[in-house]
Amino acid sequence: MGIVIAVISGKGGVGKTTTTANIGLGIAQNDKKCVVVDFDIGQRNLDMLLGLENRVVYDMVHVMDDGIGLKQALIKSKISDNLSFLAASQTKDKSVLDSEKISKLIDSLKKDFDFIILDAPAGIESGYEHTIEFADKALVVVNPEVSSIRDSDRAIGILDSKSKRVKEGQEVDKFLIINRINSKMVQNGEMLNSDDILDILSIPLIGKIPEDREIVDASNQGKPIILSQDSQAGQAYKRIALRVCGEKVDFVDVESHKESFLQKVKGIFS
Amino acid sequence: MNTKQYSAKILEVELDNDEDFISFFDKSYIFFQNYLVIINGKESNTIIEYMHSKNLKFIFNLVLPTQKKRKNREVENKQEQNVQKPTEKLKTKSNLKVLDKLVRSGQEINIDGDLLLLNRVNSGGSIVVNGTLIITQIVDGSIRCDGDFMMMQASSKANILFHGVEVDNKFLQDRLNRVELIDNEIVITSALKEKSWV
Repeated sequence: MGIVIAVISGKGGVGKTTTTANIGLGIAQNDKKCVVVDFDIGQRNLDMLLGLENRVVYDMVHVMDDGIGLKQALIKSKISDNLSFLAASQTKDKSVLDSEKISKLIDSLKKDFDFIILDAPAGIESGYEHTIEFADKALVVVNPEVSSIRDSDRAIGILDSKSKRVKEGQEVDKFLIINRINSKMVQNGEMLNSDDILDILSIPLIGKIPEDREIVDASNQGKPIILSQDSQAGQAYKRIALRVCGEKVDFVDVESHKESFLQKVKGIFS
Repeated sequence: MNTKQYSAKILEVELDNDEDFISFFDKSYIFFQNYLVIINGKESNTIIEYMHSKNLKFIFNLVLPTQKKRKNREVENKQEQNVQKPTEKLKTKSNLKVLDKLVRSGQEINIDGDLLLLNRVNSGGSIVVNGTLIITQIVDGSIRCDGDFMMMQASSKANILFHGVEVDNKFLQDRLNRVELIDNEIVITSALKEKSWV
């Protein structure tokens, strides 16, 4: 049976979808069968980040409502055979979701995959509640800024009261990903420091991702940053993916700012 | 204006006759060198000279609102309330609730009675209590308390109303504070030190 992991944040634009795409691919590259599901009905993005835009024929709503087989709707990634993708509907809205159908869908995904990663929509409306309903674990993505942290705090609160696992008396394990850390700003004290964030949210950390300008380009081209060997953010995602798979990986300090020799030389002349 | 705040140890002495006073201090002045001695009685030159010779700090006839008096006042208040609503007072007394739960954004804890919270209140979280409230960790959220007193440490983000009056959280930072209503005025003191004056 697979493990269902919801990627949540509360606030929009903090990097949920990027995280989903990269960690999904990271898990697949670690020889585990993984499916990423876009739950953002009406605003799908995950297909673009994975470079699968042109291959979406059927989406989740077709599977749930129109009797299309799951095999037909699942799209295999070009990059890794272990990674599949289930698209969200672009034409419908969140009201088409209902617990019974989602439960059925997730149960059948659980049979075929080791990890089912659900990309939650921003906000805390019904679409979000349906995403977390059947989650076993959650990855909480925050940016080091107060508004993101407050929204995540709210999202965690809803997860802790409305998910099926919690209603059955179990707990949903939550792990924190701090995204878009700008080491220079942290050192100058302009950005919230990770210890404070962990204090406020009080859930365990699973990884920190430094800000990386390459991510924008990687997203636009549909090649997740995890494929880039020399990107710090890509490597950070790789480590998180390994940790999700249950491996012990040492934490790397991404907050202390190190300039390479070349950058220092450039700094002198600029 | 320049102000300084001190905490000091105080010895209060009744002065009945000078001889007894001097013989007492001859024996024990060494213990009271760092004390402020309050002498209740008739001011006289012999005593002043004696105190100066022993290098003791002293002041004559200063009335302090002592613990005892305050307790008495509380007892009086309670008695009055007891007369008015005996059942209600009993109810809040037996209604202490102890919680160790992180209050997250969007969560509201509403309690009829007293609350001891052993975790933090995050920004956007809210607590409404009509009895006494004690929070042992930092408060970033909003607090409504109508009880005898409340104890907490708050950050600059917190929004705190005590008996419907907004408490300036600039006074609640960096330490555990006790907020109480004395003679219709909100008094904020550090909860960790003894109350004392110089």
